[in-house]
Amino acid sequence: MTLLKKLKSIIAAGAVLAAGVAQAEEPVRIGYSMSLTGLFAQAAPSQVNAYELWEDQVNAAGGLDVGGVKRPVEFVTYDDQSNPANAVRIYEKLITEDKVDLLAAPWSTPIHLALAPILSRHKFPMVGNTAASVQLREVAPGYIWFPTAVIPDKVGEELAAFMKSKGVTSAAILSNVLPLSQEIKSFLVPALEKQGIAVPVNENYPPDIKDLTTLLTQTNESGADAVIMLSYPSDSFLFAAQAKELGVKAPFVLSLIGATFGSYQQALGESVNNIVTVGHWSPNQAAWPKAKPFFDAYKAKYNEAPDALDSALAYMSMEILQQAVATAGLDKEKIREAVSTMTFDTINGPIKFEGVQNTMTPTSFLQIQDGSLELVWPDSVKTKDFRPKTGW
Amino acid sequence: MSTQLLFAALVAGSLYALVALGLNLVYGTLRLLNIAHGDLVMIGAYVAFWMLSLLGMPPVLSLFAAAALCGGFGWLIYVGIFRKLLSTPALARRLEANSLILFYGVSVILQNGVSLAFTSTARGYQYLNEVHRFAGVAASGNRLMLLGVALVLCLGMLLFLRFHLFGWSLRAVIERRDAAAVVGVDVDRVQMATICTGFAIAGVAGVLVSMTEQITPFMGFPFTIAALVVIVLGGLGNIFAGIVAGFALGFIETFGIAATSATYRSILIYGLFVAVLLLRPQGLFGKAIQAR
Repeated sequence: MTLLKKLKSIIAAGAVLAAGVAQAEEPVRIGYSMSLTGLFAQAAPSQVNAYELWEDQVNAAGGLDVGGVKRPVEFVTYDDQSNPANAVRIYEKLITEDKVDLLAAPWSTPIHLALAPILSRHKFPMVGNTAASVQLREVAPGYIWFPTAVIPDKVGEELAAFMKSKGVTSAAILSNVLPLSQEIKSFLVPALEKQGIAVPVNENYPPDIKDLTTLLTQTNESGADAVIMLSYPSDSFLFAAQAKELGVKAPFVLSLIGATFGSYQQALGESVNNIVTVGHWSPNQAAWPKAKPFFDAYKAKYNEAPDALDSALAYMSMEILQQAVATAGLDKEKIREAVSTMTFDTINGPIKFEGVQNTMTPTSFLQIQDGSLELVWPDSVKTKDFRPKTGW
Repeated sequence: MSTQLLFAALVAGSLYALVALGLNLVYGTLRLLNIAHGDLVMIGAYVAFWMLSLLGMPPVLSLFAAAALCGGFGWLIYVGIFRKLLSTPALARRLEANSLILFYGVSVILQNGVSLAFTSTARGYQYLNEVHRFAGVAASGNRLMLLGVALVLCLGMLLFLRFHLFGWSLRAVIERRDAAAVVGVDVDRVQMATICTGFAIAGVAGVLVSMTEQITPFMGFPFTIAALVVIVLGGLGNIFAGIVAGFALGFIETFGIAATSATYRSILIYGLFVAVLLLRPQGLFGKAIQAR
């Protein structure tokens, strides 16, 4: 009798203990460094916001599914001051000292590239996100993957085909001297030639340009029916303001980086309607059922739209990691195997990697149409038809 | 075409002149090199943005709010840090060099403080962006306002220095601080008024800039550099020459790019800067013998 009682109480205590353990499941710690200060700082919020939204959503749903067991997630973060050398030290520290369970990606191509060898050395997988360069293909495959579809050679080729299909016969190219712009230009110019599109204006300008009067006058005088502005954020703003002032008439206008920022439309309003930019995600693609809910949740939390490139890519990289961990648990080799072979269901539709590259998402173009970003190329993913730019 | 370029040069020049004016006033009277000057421009830009988005206050009115806030910050810095250090000549002499480091610290605090408070997300708003056409020039309203306000302030400052008694004492402190004190100029008062004015002008420039550029916590540094180039071209502490040099830089940049290529912008600006330092270290318009 007493023995039975004892046994009962032991079982009861055990059950309580087990329940307690389940409730206080150790959080999964995910480390990353971000360019919170310095040259790239402006880009950081769009990415950090996406990470934190993901964290909220996962924790609200009971935690991250680690091979069948749900555990809460928490981030361990540092500021790399936009310096790749700092980022390298931070990721070493995250792996060896902080002993985080998983890694999330930092911002920018140079920092991604600098990290690749560290990840290989520690055999620690990380899904990258915002890096965009043909150099990515030279990274040894294994522990890093790039979900972006903004790879300069593809951008050049697709853009030329897109322009041709819209009846463009001549294009003025104005390009920032920074790497991504120059890389895209080096592929775009031959691609345009191949499509029979003339390039009457092909000029470079420095990142700290303050006035585009000369270049835009030259563009207007050339009569080109497309203006391809391979710009970074500050000159994207400058370009739009001055193009309005000087009445740029080309019906096809592309601005490279910055046009997806919320502040771009805030500052420039209707004048930037029908501007084309680079990007492969839109909340309005009905074939991607997760796209709109992500957009709505982001907007509800931050009171601004997610950046169609950086926020979307950052969120996608976490979705990929999440789905890999659900199957593979926290074992690094199993995660590597899972990311390399699985097909992932993301806000940008299905994603699958071959080597380091996402081979499923097509290189696409977005257009600002009445305040929202619509995919207008290629036809397989487009959400709206391309509209010529008729005024500023 | 050429009138359009002329307009572009005038707008660029007036902004350079205005930003440099504030820096030059502070350097002239206090011998403090304010590396955080561009960050005050940034503060002015945020004042304009928040005043408009939270209170619906148009930037024309924010000009005064930004001037008051930045001027007040100048007063705080003067009373809190510099008054005591400047009152003893031995400390003051060391301070000229130390101010560089000190203001660098202020700059880091301002940038990251704003970044923490408002995040580093770029901001922007629309104001006076309709295009006006006259005399072969197409100009948006906000750039016309920038030009107008900058011209009025630069001209007003020159007239003030030329005709107002306080302006005379300010010039006296710039030229010979000790002698000015001997003949009865209240150096402390002049210094305090100047630092407030210099900071306030930076704030005003920030409001003007915010109408045409994106606003971020890190937008200020290029303005610091531009202002430094301008006042070295004009001659450190020479207010009139600084304003002339600001316009000169705007013209050289705009027409230089038109004549060569946009990629030569830095070579033009910094080439001129280095050439002036080598050939006329007292500044393009400075006297051969620096009164000091």
